[in-house]
Amino acid sequence: MASKIESSEYTELSRVTGWFVVLRWIAFAGVAGTLGAVRLLGLFELPFALLFAITSLLGLLNLSFTAWLRLGRRAVPSRRQTAAFFHAQIVCDFALLFLLVYFTGFLENPFCTFFVFHILMSAFIFSSRVVYAYVGALVAMVTGAFLAEYLGLIPHFQLWSRGGSAAAASYLGQNLPRAAGLVSLLLISAYLITSIKRRLEEKGQRIEVELDRYRNLDKIKSNFILQVTHELRGPIAAVSGYHQMLLRGLGGESPPKSLDIVRKAEHRTDNLLTIIDEMIDYAYMKSQGEVGRVRGRLPLRGAIEENLELLETQAAAKRITLAANCPKDLCVSATRDLLKIILGNLVHNAIKYSPPGGRVSVTAQGEGREVHLLVSDQGYGIEPEELDKIFEEFYRTRAARQLERDGTGLGLPIVKRAVESLAGRMSVYSELGKGSTFHIFLPALEATDEQDPDHR
Amino acid sequence: MSKILIIDDDLDILETMGSLLEAEGFQIHSAETVEKGLEMIETIAPDLVLLDVMFPEKKTRGFEAAAQIKAGHPKLPLFLLTAINREYAFDFNKEDVPAEEFLNKPVKIDRLVKLIRNYI
Repeated sequence: MASKIESSEYTELSRVTGWFVVLRWIAFAGVAGTLGAVRLLGLFELPFALLFAITSLLGLLNLSFTAWLRLGRRAVPSRRQTAAFFHAQIVCDFALLFLLVYFTGFLENPFCTFFVFHILMSAFIFSSRVVYAYVGALVAMVTGAFLAEYLGLIPHFQLWSRGGSAAAASYLGQNLPRAAGLVSLLLISAYLITSIKRRLEEKGQRIEVELDRYRNLDKIKSNFILQVTHELRGPIAAVSGYHQMLLRGLGGESPPKSLDIVRKAEHRTDNLLTIIDEMIDYAYMKSQGEVGRVRGRLPLRGAIEENLELLETQAAAKRITLAANCPKDLCVSATRDLLKIILGNLVHNAIKYSPPGGRVSVTAQGEGREVHLLVSDQGYGIEPEELDKIFEEFYRTRAARQLERDGTGLGLPIVKRAVESLAGRMSVYSELGKGSTFHIFLPALEATDEQDPDHR
Repeated sequence: MSKILIIDDDLDILETMGSLLEAEGFQIHSAETVEKGLEMIETIAPDLVLLDVMFPEKKTRGFEAAAQIKAGHPKLPLFLLTAINREYAFDFNKEDVPAEEFLNKPVKIDRLVKLIRNYI
C-alpha cells in the first residue's frame, strides 16, 4: 500500500511505535485481567479458551513488534518499511479486537466502541485518506458481521441472555440501533480527528512561514553586521598599517615628536577598534534573542590560548604576564565567537586596568556539573559601590573614565549577556589596589553529548 | 629571500602590509584580484600566501580561493586575513577553511612576522 506517512522524522515515528507498543501491553493486561475476572466470577458464559488464545496472540504480536523496533534501532528502516510496519500493527489490532468483541457478544459488548481508539491512532500516523479507508473497512466489517449474524450465516455469541439463540426479530430490534450507533460513532470520530488534524497542520504551516521569515531576517541581520564590520574595520586596518609604516621609519626618518604623535594616533585607533567590536557585539547580542546559532563542543584550552595570543602584544607593552591554566580535555558547549566575546573582553580589561608588570591569569576547572572559569588580575580593583553597576549598559567606572577617554561601557554587559546565552552565570570579586577576579560558571558537557544526538 | 604573495582588493593594505614585510626582509608580490593571485602562484611560486576573504565580487571569495590554492599546492602555507573578526557574520566554520592561520585585520606587524617565521 503506497500510503503517505505524515510524521516526517524517523525518530518521532520510532517514538510513536514505542508508545503504541506500551499502549498495547496495557490493553493486553486489561483484556487478560478482565477475561480472567469474568471467568473466575462466572459472570458470563464465553468461549474462554478461544478468547485466551486471541489474547495470547495479541501478546505474541506485541512481542514481535517490540523485537522489530529494537532491530529497527540498529539499522534505520526506510519510510516504506516503517509505513508497512504501522499498517501491520493497525490491521492486526483491528482484527484481534474484532475477534475479541465478536466472541463476547459483538454489538452487545460495550467494548466494541474501542475501535475508535484505533481510528485515533491511525490518524496519528497516516493521512486522512488512509484513515477513511480504515474506517470504511471497519464499517463494512461491522455491517457485514451484523448482517451475517442476523441472517444466521455465522453464530451469535450472546453476552446477556442465558444460553440459546435469540429470535431473529429480537436480534434485529436490539442490535440494529447498536450497529447504527457504532457506525456513526466510528464515522464521526474519523471526521472529527481528521478535521482537528487539518487545523493543527494549518497552524503548523503558519508557524513554518513565520519561522522562515524569521530566518530570513536573521540572515539579513548577519549580512548587515558583516558589511558594517567590514566597512568600519577595513579602513582602520589601512590607517593602522600606515601608522606602523611611519613608526618603523618606512616614510623616512621622523623626529621623536612626530613618532610620539603617530603612537598616540595608533593608540586611539586601537581604542576605536575595540569600540567597534563592542558596538557590533552589543547589537548582535541584543538582536539574538532566544534563538542562537547551534552550539558546538568547544575545547576550552585551545579557545583560551587563542584569545590570550590575540592580546599578547597589548600585554607585552605593559610587561604584563598572561598565564593560562586549563585541563586539556575540558570542553564547553559554546561558539568560538561567544568565548571570544567573554575572554577577549575580560582579559582586555584585566590588562587595561593593571599597572605595568602585573600578572593576568585565566584558569578553568571542571566543578561537578559546571565549568568554572576565572579571570584574575593584580590591578587597581573596582570601588565597592561601583561593583554592582559595572554590568549596567553604558556604565563606566570613575577610574575607567580617568584612565581612558574612549570607551562604550558595553564590554561587561556584553560579557554577561554572552555568559547568559550559554546558560551560565557570572560574578565578580574585587579589592581596591589588589585586583579583581571574574568568576564564570558554564554548564559542563555531559558525557553523552559526545555522540551525535540525532542518532539513537 | 622568501617570497610572499599578498592577495587583497584594498590597495592600501597591499601597500602597507607589503612595505612593512619588505622592511622585515621578505620579497613581496601583490595581486588585487583573486584571478591575478592564482595566476601569480603559478608564475612566481611564492613561499607563503596572505589572502583576503571579502572581495567585491563575493563576500566569501577568499574561502573559495583558499580551497583552490590548497587543491593545487597543498603544502603552500596560506594565511587568511579578514577585517571581520566574528564568525557569526560568515556562515562558515573556521575548521572547514584550509588555511594555516586565520587572522583579523589590522594585524600588528610583529605578530604577523612571528607567525610567518613559523612557516618559512
